[in-house]
Amino acid sequence: MIQLEGLTKRYGDRTAVDGLTFTVEPGRVTGFLGPNGAGKSTTMRMILGLDRPDEGRVRVNGRDYVDAPLPMREVGALLDARAVHGRRTARNHLLWLAHSNAIPGKRVDEVLHLVGLGSVTRKRSGTFSLGMSQRLGIAAALLGDSKVLLFDEPVNGLDPEGIKWIRELMRGLADDGRTVLVSSHLMSEMALTADHLVVIGKGKLIADVEMREFVRHSSGVLVRAEDQGLLTRRLTEAGACVEPGAEGALVVTGLEAKEIGRLATEARVVLSELTPQRLSLEEAYMNLTRDSLEFQAVVA
Amino acid sequence: MRATIADTFRSEWTKFRTIPSNISTMLTAVVLMVGLGTVTAYRAGEGYQAAASRAFDATYISMYGGFLFAEIAVGALGVLVMTSEYVTGMIRTSLTVVPRRGRLLAAKVGLFGGIALVAGEVASFASFLLGQAAIGAAGAPTATLGQPGVLRAVAGMGLIWGLVGLVGVALGCLLRSTMMAVTVLVAVNFLIPIIGPRLLPESAGEVLMTYWPISAGLQVATTVQNADRLTPWAGLGLMAAFTAVLLAMAFALFYSRDA
Repeated sequence: MIQLEGLTKRYGDRTAVDGLTFTVEPGRVTGFLGPNGAGKSTTMRMILGLDRPDEGRVRVNGRDYVDAPLPMREVGALLDARAVHGRRTARNHLLWLAHSNAIPGKRVDEVLHLVGLGSVTRKRSGTFSLGMSQRLGIAAALLGDSKVLLFDEPVNGLDPEGIKWIRELMRGLADDGRTVLVSSHLMSEMALTADHLVVIGKGKLIADVEMREFVRHSSGVLVRAEDQGLLTRRLTEAGACVEPGAEGALVVTGLEAKEIGRLATEARVVLSELTPQRLSLEEAYMNLTRDSLEFQAVVA
Repeated sequence: MRATIADTFRSEWTKFRTIPSNISTMLTAVVLMVGLGTVTAYRAGEGYQAAASRAFDATYISMYGGFLFAEIAVGALGVLVMTSEYVTGMIRTSLTVVPRRGRLLAAKVGLFGGIALVAGEVASFASFLLGQAAIGAAGAPTATLGQPGVLRAVAGMGLIWGLVGLVGVALGCLLRSTMMAVTVLVAVNFLIPIIGPRLLPESAGEVLMTYWPISAGLQVATTVQNADRLTPWAGLGLMAAFTAVLLAMAFALFYSRDA
């Protein structure tokens, strides 16, 4: 479990992470989403104690990560697959990691085979493709058999087969009861992997929702009506979320088309269009992050 | 179960030995010291004149010529112990698996200081022994380890290697860039003490030659006391204190800085 409380990080007068509070629960894959520059990597570095927060606190399995008696048993992390010394072999790279936490060398060979690098253990990591480097980075994250796993953009450079493989891997880790936090700037990637979503934009929390909930909210109904004001009031009273859509239409979420039609009839509002539509998750995500940016612009 | 500094130390040793050029650079430093030291010693033996015999320090001469070159390699390797982590971005991985920063840096300092010390002792004794043979072959009087101060001077030269290595580690940690750190290192250990006195007025040059850390430290490797310089142990102490200050700065910055 990872708990963030009001985590804030400033670089000069730029606030990279702004009062983030959320909890990453064990037993599920939590997707950590946001546009590039939203503060995902900074947040992950603060979880690991690499960057110090200006305010707030983060706890990993109930304590500061630095206090972990056997750090690799607590957290396995893949931050940057290219952050290896290219002249060291794959096996030796994992070996120094293993030695730092008293992990036997046998485990190194185990994870190398697990990630599919069994045949290149004695090759220099500098000769690896980005996909192979990702696999080495994942091997490093798995080495300590940890309760928490952090993956920062893990599918970068992986081929389709590799992407499928890492999805299944993360699924399996979560099913084991581990805490899995995986960041991405692509919604499509999360749609197939994550059970839960944490979305940030400009360092602020935008959404902390279950994937199922997010999917439900991402389907809307396009409505055109003569008296939009009245209809909007009635729909909102009924618990729907009404937003302006293209060309004067309304986009209604949270209510079925049938319900909307019934409410319109009751309110004696003439409808000229009532079209159920399914936004792609990507569109829903874009809406979510765009709204937050607009909101921020208004505040500023 | 709990990870200890012994695990960190072992991990750092694995890190060091699994880059082939680390070991070969250290061996090169030893070869430079012994080879160039012997050549310098032979030349000095040829130029020996009985009239100036009181100032002829066969022990120091057999080591100093090679040391000037070897120290650059040792110091640069110390720099790389830190900067290679920053250049590759591996420092974040290192601090993820060893989040106690003081422990990580202490392991690096201890390991590389130890390696430089051992290599330095080997190089100093080899350089001394071969150098004496060369001086003898050139027809000048030689020194033996049994003579007063000679053992201290030869073993002391090995200590200087250790300190030079630690200065490299500290500079690498403080500056994080290989080029900047090596430049400062060469200036501190080579250019300023050797060229500085020629550029400065005589009195300032004297102060530099007496109190500049590496110049003071090298007094430990002499067997003929120059009245204008510090005594062997005082000189070494000054260099050690300078190294300790640099290391303290490195620890403080390493502890507080974002990785």
